[in-house]
Amino acid sequence: MNVKIYLRQHVGVASTPTVEENEEVLRGQLIAKPKGLGSNIHSSVHGVVKKVSKDFIEIDGFDKQNEEFVKIKETDNYLEAIKEAGVVGAGGAGFPTHVKLDTSLKGGYVIANAAECEPTLEHNMKLLEEDPEVVIRGLKYVMKITNASKAFIVIKPKNKKAMISIARKIKENRKIEIKFLPDLYPSGDERVILREVLGVELEPGKLPLEANAVVCNVETLKNITLAIEDRKPVIEKDITIGGKIEGAKNGKVFLNVPIGVSTESMINKTGEVIKPYGEIIMGGAFTGSRGNLNSTITKTTGGIAITESFPTAKTSFGILACECGAQEERLEEIAAEMGGEVVASTKCARMVKVGNQYKCEKPGVCPGQAKKILELKKNGAKAVLVGTCQD
Amino acid sequence: MAITAEEAREHKDEFAITCCRFEAGEEIKPSNLEDPNIVPDLEDSGLLEIPENCLKIGEVLGAKLKVTVDALTPLTPDLVEGLKETVAEKKEEVEESFKEKEVEERVVPIKGIRDSEYVRIHIGEGKDINLDIPVCISQGFGADTKSENIVKDSALELKEDSDEDKIIRTLTRKHFEIDEVKFGDETKIQGTTLYIRENIVEEAIDSQDLVTNIELDIITPDRYGEYSNTIMDVQPIAVKEEGGLGEGITRVIDGAVVVVTGTDEKGVQIGEFGSSEGEIDRNVLFNRPGSPDDGDILIKTNVTIKEGKNMERPGPMAAHRATDVITQEIREVLKKADEELIVNEEEFVQKHRAKRKKVVIVKEIMGQGAMHDNFIMPDEPVGTLGAKANVDLGNVPIVVTPLQILDGCIHALTCIGPASKETSRHYFREPLVLETMNDEDIDLLAVVLVGSPQANNEKFYVSRLLGTTVEAMNVDGAIVTTEGFGNNHIDFASHIEEIGKRDIPVVGMTFSGVQGELVVGNKYMDAMIDLNKSRQGIENEILSNNCLTKEDAKRALAMLKAKMAGETIKKAERKWSSDIKMNNIALIEKATGEKIELEPNETLLKMSEKRKKIYEKDK
Repeated sequence: MNVKIYLRQHVGVASTPTVEENEEVLRGQLIAKPKGLGSNIHSSVHGVVKKVSKDFIEIDGFDKQNEEFVKIKETDNYLEAIKEAGVVGAGGAGFPTHVKLDTSLKGGYVIANAAECEPTLEHNMKLLEEDPEVVIRGLKYVMKITNASKAFIVIKPKNKKAMISIARKIKENRKIEIKFLPDLYPSGDERVILREVLGVELEPGKLPLEANAVVCNVETLKNITLAIEDRKPVIEKDITIGGKIEGAKNGKVFLNVPIGVSTESMINKTGEVIKPYGEIIMGGAFTGSRGNLNSTITKTTGGIAITESFPTAKTSFGILACECGAQEERLEEIAAEMGGEVVASTKCARMVKVGNQYKCEKPGVCPGQAKKILELKKNGAKAVLVGTCQD
Repeated sequence: MAITAEEAREHKDEFAITCCRFEAGEEIKPSNLEDPNIVPDLEDSGLLEIPENCLKIGEVLGAKLKVTVDALTPLTPDLVEGLKETVAEKKEEVEESFKEKEVEERVVPIKGIRDSEYVRIHIGEGKDINLDIPVCISQGFGADTKSENIVKDSALELKEDSDEDKIIRTLTRKHFEIDEVKFGDETKIQGTTLYIRENIVEEAIDSQDLVTNIELDIITPDRYGEYSNTIMDVQPIAVKEEGGLGEGITRVIDGAVVVVTGTDEKGVQIGEFGSSEGEIDRNVLFNRPGSPDDGDILIKTNVTIKEGKNMERPGPMAAHRATDVITQEIREVLKKADEELIVNEEEFVQKHRAKRKKVVIVKEIMGQGAMHDNFIMPDEPVGTLGAKANVDLGNVPIVVTPLQILDGCIHALTCIGPASKETSRHYFREPLVLETMNDEDIDLLAVVLVGSPQANNEKFYVSRLLGTTVEAMNVDGAIVTTEGFGNNHIDFASHIEEIGKRDIPVVGMTFSGVQGELVVGNKYMDAMIDLNKSRQGIENEILSNNCLTKEDAKRALAMLKAKMAGETIKKAERKWSSDIKMNNIALIEKATGEKIELEPNETLLKMSEKRKKIYEKDK
């Protein structure tokens, strides 16, 4: 099994390799560490380093693999263990967890994000159904690290099985509570969660810390538990495969996929691709990006989707970008795929500039777009491609 | 999740809980409501608390929400306007799994036969008229076509139902008291002493390739405190004096039983899930149908089989066959024993009870292979010779008479260690068969044995066959029992479904308690009897502790009668509690005026190390 492990799987700078080509490495061995903001990266297989580049390390895995791994080194405290293990936000953001948690909430809140918001993705729910305790223990560690007094697990009530599974385990715990999220996209967004759970409207660009809270995805919590209890580095990712593929039309979950394996190998494990298909999306349908058969699983890959073929629309497109969904680049890509031409471009009225990024003022509370549509039409658009999350 | 209109109708009397957030002013539709089937889980997990004034689904449909409510909100009158005036007041009084009312003793008219359809043979005057009416209708045996016609119709009339009770057959048990068992030069019964030939052990060892050693021990009650390997079976010593299995006369020894125990050469117990090794008096619940009675002398073989064979089918089988070499020799002397030594005679009567509810008992027996097997229909009661293993028979349903069960037609090869498995002696004294056969309100037709195979597809295969078997019997009710728990619950549930979907009222009996929670279920499983007797509701590896007893049989029969009379059985509480059973017992006692003796459980025994360390740390 060959793996290609990227050096930038997180917010921050690419990590620096600590191994050389032809060097033999063990599963779990540290192979790159960050200079500055970033995360430690570990080998997900036993094997020999085939190639080291500035972007990735390729490892030729031995035929025989096992469950053993090199444990992370002894640390003085939980936070250090999380850092050593290279834990980053597994929900997709990839922010280094040890940096996020290096704070004192002095009685604030920890929120376990079990919204699993993107359509078809369901590996987080599967995790809660199968092992709610590993998540709860992670939540407790985070409460301890950050001096939080209360924790919430936010989940959509439609995910009954997962919800019941985790609720059973916290029944007697007065400090942890379940909160429901509305069943809409993007209710898993941090700011939507804070609005729903704490009633706090965060300004665009502000972090949950402003509301005395941290939000962690449930898989991140699992990784925190594994780092602290088993001294296990992040070398695996839970993913969902779905779309035009036999046996996974409504999504098939793979827990603990070695980081660095290719999309192609995961597809082969799932079933035949149903041809013709449009593209392969790495991540969720809303926020994922185009990938290909050689794309690899990283610490933040949530899913692999094989999409419908693109319809043909050789026309003039106006595009309307959104923070929660597709933005300009992605919309242009789709327009081109349909054979169209982008003649006008604008952003949803909610988008405001924060630093050099555009952020949504009120995620999930979408405005009417008439004005924007007229603007696009005026600029020659005959059709509109929208990235907004609601119509 | 939201429910459909059809489900809403079906569950109109269940609590109305919202499934998602809904806005004020919205009309309440099935799509706004939570599936009642998962409400108990939601309550159990602490996600939901149902207030006393919670409305029912039938009441809220079509009403309007007054305020915006979150998901999983129990709808109460203050949240809703425009409620339907329905039968909201009708409350069940009996907090129980079934209602108090007993089955009415109503004579059911026989289906299909009207008065005018009888063939009446009137003979005005005549001499020497003989009508031989065969029971079966086969073709071509009447020489004269005219008489054949009469024969056929008369036979038909007979077959439907006769007006009178009829004894089908009887089985007599002659009891021989044994109060001493000794080794001697030859096997013989002298007075109340049984001598066992000393060198028979070598023959027993030699009879089986896989058996490397046997220690034969005679355990008298004063030695009950000694260690024993796991008990693989408890067997009565019985032999036919007259007739085949299930009829005629059987001789049986009182005061001594054969106990099969064993390990492999490495000392590994021959048992899979749990085993009852340890001090006998701490690991055996005496006086259960399947266990030794307190005071019984145990003729105990401790069989050693080849290493690693303890988990393979031929291993345990060899241990049983080797032991049976010894038992068979005792049977032979018992057969010839002096009539004078008979201390007691017992008669079992299998009766056709006219115009009573026809009932069949289905006993699911283990058939997964390894040590989950049973020899069926041996030549002698509980023997091995002449029998076939139900695994070899494909685990398919086999119809036997109640008397065949009581005459030892099953030699149990099941790993008996667990508290919920049935020994050979259990079948010999099967309480459900006894109770049902003797119940004046019931016409017990037959007992169907069906094996529980390992693979799921085979489970459904045998289950479908069971469905057709039971269908052909045209019964009014059925009781399905099983032994053990877990894997076999899949086919157990399927059997109940196959019977239930043919509109036959059916009651299920299994160990469940806390540990044996049913893994599957279907809508026909609404009348279940839990065989648990343990304090904690667990499999505690004490021999026969959680097996079917007389008290269970009485509850099952009461429940089946209620169901056949069209009563609804109340849903059980979500959580296991022995209160349900106690309530049921009280109801039956009240209705019948008969006191039901409850069986003691393991709390009566001295506590073994295993219980202290594993099962009962709380004590």
